[in-house]
Amino acid sequence: ISHVLLCNVTQRVSFWFVVTDPSKNHTLPAVEIQSAIRMNRNRINNAFFLNDQTLEFLKIPSTLAPPTDPSVPIWIIIFSVIFCIVIVAVMLLILSGIRQRRRKSKGPSEVDDTEDKCENMITIENGIACDPLDTKGGHINDAFMTEDERLTPL
Amino acid sequence: MEKARPLWANPLQFVFACISYAVGLGNVWRFPYLCQMYGGGSFLVPYVIMLIVEGMPLLYLELAVGQRMRQGSIGAWRTISPYLGGVGLASVVVSFFLSTYYNIINAWAFWYLFHSFQEPLPWAVCPLNDNRTGYDEECEKASSTQYFWYRKTLNISPSIQDSGRVQWEPALCLILAWLVVYLCILRGTETTGKVVYFTALLPYCVLIVYLVRGLTLHGAINGLVYMFTPKLEQLANPKAWINAATQIFFSLGLGFGSLIAFASYNEPSNNCQKHAVIVSLINSSTSIFASIVTFSIYGFKATFNYESCLDKVILLLTNSFDLEDGFLTASNLEQVKGYLASAFPDKYSEVLPQMKNCSLQSELATAVQGTGLSFIVYTEAIKNMEVSQLWSVLYFFMLLMLGIGSMLGNTAAILTPLTDSKVISSHLPKEAISGLVCLVNCVIGLVFTMESGNYWFDIFNDYAATLSLLLIVLVETVAVCYVYGLRRFEGDLKAMTGCTLSWYWKAMWAGVSPLLIVSLFLFYLSDYILTGTLQYQAWDAAQGQLVTKDYPPYALAVIGLLVAASIMCIPLVALGTFVRRCLKRGDTPPVA
Repeated sequence: ISHVLLCNVTQRVSFWFVVTDPSKNHTLPAVEIQSAIRMNRNRINNAFFLNDQTLEFLKIPSTLAPPTDPSVPIWIIIFSVIFCIVIVAVMLLILSGIRQRRRKSKGPSEVDDTEDKCENMITIENGIACDPLDTKGGHINDAFMTEDERLTPL
Repeated sequence: MEKARPLWANPLQFVFACISYAVGLGNVWRFPYLCQMYGGGSFLVPYVIMLIVEGMPLLYLELAVGQRMRQGSIGAWRTISPYLGGVGLASVVVSFFLSTYYNIINAWAFWYLFHSFQEPLPWAVCPLNDNRTGYDEECEKASSTQYFWYRKTLNISPSIQDSGRVQWEPALCLILAWLVVYLCILRGTETTGKVVYFTALLPYCVLIVYLVRGLTLHGAINGLVYMFTPKLEQLANPKAWINAATQIFFSLGLGFGSLIAFASYNEPSNNCQKHAVIVSLINSSTSIFASIVTFSIYGFKATFNYESCLDKVILLLTNSFDLEDGFLTASNLEQVKGYLASAFPDKYSEVLPQMKNCSLQSELATAVQGTGLSFIVYTEAIKNMEVSQLWSVLYFFMLLMLGIGSMLGNTAAILTPLTDSKVISSHLPKEAISGLVCLVNCVIGLVFTMESGNYWFDIFNDYAATLSLLLIVLVETVAVCYVYGLRRFEGDLKAMTGCTLSWYWKAMWAGVSPLLIVSLFLFYLSDYILTGTLQYQAWDAAQGQLVTKDYPPYALAVIGLLVAASIMCIPLVALGTFVRRCLKRGDTPPVA
């Protein structure tokens, strides 16, 4: 198949064409040509250095390239990472809270209950690990100063 | 007091907690809309006036009450008067409703954040239809960002009656959102105090980055000019003043009990007057700052759409009339259109219906608020920027910080009364109480992940808090000034903090603010009654746009229940206390 005849050439580079079969001396049916063009669209585009947007075949809608679809959607990967981090952090905080409470309940019971609780509340809340202070009988510095603050407000 | 109350490690944590609670999504997506609707630059006049007259005094009142009573909302109001414990209970109920529906926004922000790590962004392109010859029909009719929001994120049903199933993707994000909130409130002020440094400061960093980027975008200036051109005639519109008052009121988060809860963890000597002024000023300036960013992005988006529209018209005309490429430009478009209309009238009239009328003003005038602004309009602007993944990640990260900051306040309002009550805190440790509250809220929140979830979200958003809060704050102000006694409260504050109450605060608390709240309340009530039946916006997939529908009766019943549940607490608890006192007085004979 080598004979391509042009007709109805317009100013804006558009044309009709038919493809003839020299051996049989008739034009090939449009349907065959359309399906052939559809299959080889890429080659025809490249021959003209054009693409689907710039070279249009009337009545042949171009098939669009589907967006890439990875096997596992990306968002699930990121979600799982963040989810695991948060669960681990929650577990750590809960466990450290349980451990602190267990240490507090094992502490000396002869010390005054309320003062012990407050001093523990304050030491925990201020983030100061003052567990050694529990075991000593006396309470120095932190407990004394906060007690002072409680008794004499401004 | 038996055991010392947990305290903020330093006053800065308290200020940051209040800022991160007050500066929330409303500053980003409601204030720019109001500014645009009610006169641009001139809206700032009623806004600032309302801030000084209503915002600062009421904020100071709540912080002072919390700091003085050193208890959560229920205990604090019960101390003021035993009959007013209902006010605290109403605050807790409203906070409970709020936290149920607010966290779904964080879930959506997570969803968009996780989807931002793709090239191209999933809301930038439409998916293809079945035979791959064109784009999906719904996406064609609407836009790709709307399609992603309504179809991929919400999978929204055509009306509130079609509930559909629970969507597992948003449900997963909701569970994650609640886990993050639980992580932050797990140990009370100890963990919350550290988290608020981030939730208060990071949004500002992102806003500054966005400001720089926004102002350098092409066409940003159009948006800024459009917004800030003052339309002085709007000052005469009473709706502008009412909306300014409402915005100040709800933006500061008054009446939920969160501010009382935060202030109760303060040192009694803390200067809460200074803090109240600082927090309200920062909240309002953040609103204005965020609207500058929003409008520069609007301007960019509108200019981009306008220019694409012009390009399409140019292409259409070039193709139909076989014109030379490059002959038609934006500047000579009108001239050439006129020439073509006169030279080839029949062909022109054929082409005319396909030609869209491109107008920059109409692009700018699309005023959007709420979730539509963040998830549709902003994403549309972001997809056209360079390195859109980075901007998208930054933006949704900022939304997350703002949302989680507000959630911390909401959950504090619920948890503080619970941990204060000796009955509950003696049986369960703090972590278990927080866990239970988060679990219950999460399970109820799964309703919003159903296909009709967004319609229920709108119901909660519009009706759960509005009327109830106005009433709660009104009762609060009246209670402090007249039931507890303004002079007595003044004496308490002086003993506590050492600073005297100026005449300004006294005048505002006793007179102006209650009057303002009453007028707001009456206005809203009359508005609801006059509109008759309530309506909502439903997404029509066939047309690709929103349509208005009426609420079915059971939805109206839910609305009524929401409003009644919180308001009824006040009289019911007062009645209950009264009855209990009468019975007690009846049991013990009076001593002679």
